[in-house]
Formats: sequence, C-alpha cells, structure tokens
Amino acid sequence: MNAQNLFKAGLTAGAMFLVLGLTQAGAAPAIGQPAPGFTATDSNGKTVKLSDYRGKVVVLEWTNNECPYVKKHYGSSNMQTLQKDATGQGVVWLTVISSAKGEQGYVEPAAANQLTASRSASPSAVLLDPSGKIGQEYGAKTTPHMYIVDPAGKLVYMGGIDDKPTNNPADIPNSKNYVRAALDEVMAGKPVSEPVTRAYGCTIKYQS
Amino acid sequence: MEAAFPAVCLDFVTFGRTYERQTIVGVMRVRRLFLLLLLAPIFAVLASAGASANPVQRDHVRVTLISEVESVRPGDTFWVALRQEIKPDWHTYWINPGDSGIPTAIAWTLPPGAEAGPIVWPAPIRFPLGHLVNFGYAGEAWLLTEITVPVTAAPGASFDVTAQANWLACAQICVPEEASLTINVPLATETRADPDAAVGFATARAALPRPAPWPASYAATKDGFRLALAMPKEMAAAVSDSFVFPEQLDVIENGAAQKRRATADGLVVDLQRGVLGLKQGEKLTGVVELTEGKGAGGQVHHFAFAAGPAPAGALVGTSEGDVGGGLPVALLLAFAGGLILNLMPCVFPILSMKAAGLVRLADGERRVARTHGLIFGAGVILSFAVLAGVLITLRAGGAAVGWGFQLQTPWFVLFLSYLMFALGLSLSGFLRIGGGFAGAGGALASKPGKAGAFFTGVLAVLVATPCTAPFMGAALGFALAQPALPALAVFLALGAGMAAPYVLLSLSPALLRRLPKPGPWMERFRQLLAFPMYATAAWLVWVLAQQSPVSGIALALGGFILIGFAVWLVRQMDGSRQAWRTVYAALAAVAFGGALSTLHFVEASAAPAPAGRAAAVADAEPWSAVRVEALRAEGRPVLVNFTAAWCITCLVNEKAALSTTAVKNALKSKNVAYLKGDWTRQDPAITAALAAFGRSGVPLYVLYPPGGEPIVLPQILTEGGVLEELNRI
Repeated sequence: MNAQNLFKAGLTAGAMFLVLGLTQAGAAPAIGQPAPGFTATDSNGKTVKLSDYRGKVVVLEWTNNECPYVKKHYGSSNMQTLQKDATGQGVVWLTVISSAKGEQGYVEPAAANQLTASRSASPSAVLLDPSGKIGQEYGAKTTPHMYIVDPAGKLVYMGGIDDKPTNNPADIPNSKNYVRAALDEVMAGKPVSEPVTRAYGCTIKYQS
Repeated sequence: MEAAFPAVCLDFVTFGRTYERQTIVGVMRVRRLFLLLLLAPIFAVLASAGASANPVQRDHVRVTLISEVESVRPGDTFWVALRQEIKPDWHTYWINPGDSGIPTAIAWTLPPGAEAGPIVWPAPIRFPLGHLVNFGYAGEAWLLTEITVPVTAAPGASFDVTAQANWLACAQICVPEEASLTINVPLATETRADPDAAVGFATARAALPRPAPWPASYAATKDGFRLALAMPKEMAAAVSDSFVFPEQLDVIENGAAQKRRATADGLVVDLQRGVLGLKQGEKLTGVVELTEGKGAGGQVHHFAFAAGPAPAGALVGTSEGDVGGGLPVALLLAFAGGLILNLMPCVFPILSMKAAGLVRLADGERRVARTHGLIFGAGVILSFAVLAGVLITLRAGGAAVGWGFQLQTPWFVLFLSYLMFALGLSLSGFLRIGGGFAGAGGALASKPGKAGAFFTGVLAVLVATPCTAPFMGAALGFALAQPALPALAVFLALGAGMAAPYVLLSLSPALLRRLPKPGPWMERFRQLLAFPMYATAAWLVWVLAQQSPVSGIALALGGFILIGFAVWLVRQMDGSRQAWRTVYAALAAVAFGGALSTLHFVEASAAPAPAGRAAAVADAEPWSAVRVEALRAEGRPVLVNFTAAWCITCLVNEKAALSTTAVKNALKSKNVAYLKGDWTRQDPAITAALAAFGRSGVPLYVLYPPGGEPIVLPQILTEGGVLEELNRI
C-alpha cells in the first residue's frame, strides 16, 4: 500500500466514522439507556424539564387531535381513562404535540387547553414542540406514539398504545394495551416484558 | 279577409307551435323512458347488492372487486383483485406501511367451504415525509387474492365473494376508508377466464415482485444488518440504485440511507436496525428494488427475497451457495462426493482392477504397492487441482463455464469415448501392451511403475469428470462462488475423497486381507468390467450426437473402426517376423493417427440444440428466462429441468422420476409448464441461471409455484418426491 492509498483509506475511514456518528445521533433512543433530556414549554407557558421528574415514572404521549387514530382512543375515552389511572398512581403524563405550525394537529396554547377540557383529558402537562426537536430526539413517528421513563430517568418502553393497529374503537376492548401493561410492571418494580412495540397511527407532521 | 288571414295565420302558427311543443314533449318522454330503460339494470343491481355495490367510490379511493374468471369449476381456485384507484397525491399502504400507516385489510365472506388466501401485494413505492418514510401505492393498485372453491359446491349455483375492505388513504393527512364489495362468480363445469379481466390481471402480475433468483442472506453488523444478494457480479455491478423494503415492521430504520456495494459475490446492502430489529435466527423477508442502468434508460426491477442469517464464521458479504454451514460442510460434501465417484460406471472398472491387482502382490511387493498407492493418490489430487485451476482461471476471465464444461467441447467428448473404447478393449483382453496387466500397475495405466501409478490417477479423474455425483453439485457450486483458495480446497477435498479407498487399501494389509482371494474369477471379472466401458463410450457418442449431430457420429464410428483395426494390427505383431512387425507397427500407427485425426474434424455444429431432444420428453418446451417469466406472469406453475446429455444423474432422474405416467399426469392436472434447459453445449444463459441458484452444474430442478418462491428440488429425484412437490402447489 503506497502513501496515496494509505491517505485514501484514512480519509474513507474518517468519513465513515463521521457518517456513523451522524446516524447514531439521529437514531431512536435505546431501552435501558437514559431517556433524552429536554426542556419544553407547556400549554400554560410553564417550562417543563424531564429532569424535574426524576424519581417519578413519566409517560410521553405524542398526539394530533385530528388524526383518526388519536380520535379512536380519545373518542372512546380509552386514552383519558389510562391518563386518570396513571396520574392517580403518581405517574407524570406529558402529552406532546410535535406538529409544525400550519400542519395538521398544530394547536396554539389556548386551543390545547380547550382540547384538554373538552375531551376530559387529564395529562400532567401538554408540551408544545412545533420545532419537532423533542419528537426527533425520541424518534417519535406516529400519533399516538408512547414512551415510558422510569424513576431513574431510563427509557423502559417505546411503541404503540396497543396491539390492534386499526382506527376502529370497537377493537379497543379486545386489544392488549401495551402502555397499561408496561406501567403495571414499572410500578411493581418489574422489568417491562415488551419494551419495544410497533407504534401505529398517523405520521407526525414534523417541520420540514 | 285581411284581418282573418293573420288570424288564421296566427292560428296556424299557434297550432304549429302547439304541435311542435307536443312533439318536443313527446321526444322528451321517449328519451326519459329510454334513459330509464338503460339505467334499469344498474338500479336493479344497486338495489339487489344493497351495501355491497361494486365499484365503490370513496372520497380518496375508488375500489372495485374483479374476478379473473367468468365461471369457475368446483374444486378449482381463481384469483380476484381488489383494485384501488387512488386520488392524485394520495396513497394507500403495503403490507409493511413503513413509519406509519396501516396496510389495506380485506375480510372475506365466502360460501361455506371456500377459502381465501393472503393478499399478494404488488411491489411498493416510497413516500418520504420529512425524515420518515411510508411504503405503499399511488395511482392504481391491484391487490390479488386466490379463492379456493370447495369441491362440494354444485355447478349452476351462485358463488358470492364479498370483500370487506378497510384501507387508510393518506396524503399529508390520513383518512380511513372502507367498502363492502360483492361479486358473483357462476359455478360451472369449467373454469373460464374472463377475457375482459385478462389485461388487468396480466398488468397486475407484472407489478408483483419476482422471486429473487439468487440466494439471500444477512449478517448482523454493529448498527444493523448486512444483506447479501448472491447475484452474478456483472449484475451487481450494473445496479445503479437499490432499496430494500422489509416485510417485517420496524425491522430497519425505514428512512435511513441504505449503503450498497457490488462485490464479487453479489450485491451487499447495509441496513440500519429499526426499533424492533430481528430475533435470533429470524429471516429477513421483503422486496428489493433494483435499478439497472442510469438515467432515462434505467430499468427498475423488484425481487422478493427471504434472507436467513449467514452461518457463523461465514465471511460477511459472501454468499454461501446452496451449502448451509459454509466451507467445512462443503469440504465434507466434496469428500463424500469423491468417494461416490469410485462407484461411477466409468471409474469403477479402473479402480476395482487396480485394487484386485493389489491382492496378488507378494509381501515383498507390498512396500512398492504402498508407494504406488500414494503416487496414485497424488495423481488424482493433482489432476483435480489442475482442473480447478483451469476452471477458476476461465471464470476469473469472465467465461461462463461450470462443472462439466469439459464435456461441452465436442473433440474432448470424442476423445473420451475413444479412451473408454480403448480401455474396454484392454479389459476384454484384446489389447496387451507392455507385457500384460498382471502387475500392480494395473490394467489401465499401461506404464509400469511409479509413472504408471500416477497416470492411473490422472486417468481416473479424466473419466470421472462426466459423473457429477450427488453432493458434488452443491459443493462445486459453493466452490465456484468462492475466492480462489477456498474453491481450490473444495476441489482438493473431492480428489482426496476419490483417492481415499484405493490409497487406504494399498496402505493397509488388514484391509487387503478382507478382499476376495485372487483366482480365475479375476480374469472373468475383468472381462465383465469391459462392458461398462463400452457403454460409457456409446453414451459419449450419443452426447457427441447432441453437439455435432451427423458428422460427429460418422467420425466417431470411423474412429472406433480405426482403433479396432490398430489394435488388431498390434496383436498381429506377436510372433511375426521382424519385417512384418515393422509393417504392422507402421500401419497400426497410421490407423491410430487416423482415429485421432477425427478429433480435429469434429466441430461443434453451430445450429441450436436439436428439437428432438427437448421433445423427447412429452410436453417439455425449451427453457428461456423470458419464457419462464411469461408463464409465471400467466400465473402458471413452472417446472424447469436443467440437464445435459452428458449428465448421467440427469438422465436417470428423467427416466425414473420426470417421465413417469404419474408425474406427467400430475404436471397436466396442475397445468404445470415443463421447461427444459439443455446444457449439453455451452449456453451462457443457462450457466447464468444455474449460478442464480448457486450451482455450477447440472442437474438442477426448479419448481416455481404460482406467485410463490422457486423451490429447488433435490439432485436425486424420486417419483414420489416429485409428486409430493407438485401436489403442494
């Protein structure tokens, strides 16, 4: 191998590391690893940090109120029931809206609060993420897309709300709610048996 | 009058107008009636079908349920399509919708006993949305489903097929839609294709991914998977763009770049692991989109693949041919194949006579025998090394050759047949050169001593080449897909296997004692063994006839006579006077030279393979890749038999398994198209097709079930095995 080839090889290796590094940065967070930290503004103008909830179980719910799959779970009160049950046990429930301004699901803070009231939802806070930064950090793809962070700040669940990828509310009673199952296990101090599942729903309308 | 006239006139005019109006009204009434008459059947259909209209127009997609047949016979199957005509800018989803979305689902309501298969999906396209991507369809998509009608259904009755279709239509936003569609297919005594549906279904089938004709495997990498598609390197190099659509959800990061490179072993694509990834040992299945060539002339192909995990220790990015387990297994198979070569009709006489010769040796000669055994082994192994070297060099040079390539050259075939004939004559006792056959040098390599032992080895390999034993096909296919060194190793293992029995015999007096005692039976046995040699010679002439039909046979027969004459002349030398001996020797040399000169004249006839051979088996038509595609597009199952006149295994299989009445009937009843690829002569297209299945030689039997992946049948066929495979489709 002459000097020129060596130089080329070095350059290629360097470029590969760079590419690898970049893709790694964009990859979804891993189960058992610290959940990506964030600072966000909620629908009441309050600043919310993930690290504020260290010691508590945190649920992240990506939503878009116009998405038929979100409607399936809100129209049937499935989501609200889960929120009440969870927050009743001291779980922090953060609803996240990552739709960019002008896209489906984007709401101004007042409208967000109005939605919470009209749907009798009980999230601990609704986070507005029109830049999509938090969504992309978590690799959130669909609405709904669910994540659970344990009291130590580690990601313990990411995926769908349940195992029936339809928009038909009639399927809810016969489906397995992954989030409820995972929360039960986390609250009992047990490892989550199905930590990664397929999220289904509408594509998150990220800022392009 | 003057006043009246206008009045009359007015009246007339009024009358006229009235008349005209009445006429118009009348025409209108007729038209309305006509329109009503026209629409009546439509209203009637709408009324009878109720909610199950067909087609149904939804906001973003219009769906139609279409049958490929206008009538169906109980017990038969037929195809229906759910056609989606999708509004511009909107899309529906593939079985794996990508980062979001839901695949179209169809719930079937069928008469009792009827069954619907899974949806057969056309190749998807990508819909990127930011850094996310969906897989699905735009414009028009035909989702095909096969329906089985129970045998018990009565002809004349009605067979209603109802599809409850649910799909998600998306542009920037998504709208779930659904429809219930019903069609009625009359049950009849005969299944008849609907000519109106033919074009639509042909187009739909053309949009399906084709089963990948090359083995696929994957290996885990640091952040995902490396998918290896073992296509010929020329093909891999021609790929200008590719995309892998996995069927499993979230198995890869759908939107991530897929790095591709062409290697000597095919195409390698790096995929980034998705959140779900693959379980240990799970297959990666999906569709790979390959663009061949660049720009406007670029052609896009879709292939369905199922990649198993590459065996541990296998080099990443190399294919493994047909052999699971990589090099060690291939070496073992090659060794076993070599052992079996000893039993081939052309080899057995040579080696058994040599072994019998060992028995006669006195103890003092055993040492010599041992040395000769080892030299014989070296001769065998070295010959294989030379063959491998030639083959590897030729292939490196880009020639499309495979195992058995020697036999695609007419002069070599003729030479082998002369050799077999001469060996037969010597076994018969007509040809006694160098003082007879008694010694350990054996009947065949006439030179006594070490050189004789060595050339016996060479001879054994030479005559063994036509007999590609079972196991060897896979091992050699593996070998030729490998870099030079592992390939050479496989060939050497083959040689070691072939040499092993004789070498062991020569080394071990204990084994020798187990052989039958020498006696007069040996002479009879030797003469008996001449006949397999003659048979082999005759068979080689028949091979030659396929390559060089008329002149080839004439030359060969002439050659045999000249050889016979030369042998007779040589026999006359015994006991003749010196002058005559010289004359006989000279004449014998001329005759022998004449026989050899035929090698020069025999040339491959440029004409295509004679139709007679392909037609020798009923209903076989000549193979071509295009023909296979066309038949598969028609939805017909296809059985391909890659064969050659010089391949004994092939001929035995054809006789014992493929040409039996039961198999012929099964082929007919399943409407299987039977194609034959004749590799008797060089044919790069067939060589490529063999390579596609990881093989470098014949036989190869491939069964393409309709819409399914090709099934490679074993190299040794049995009637029962073939029937079982046919019944499965």
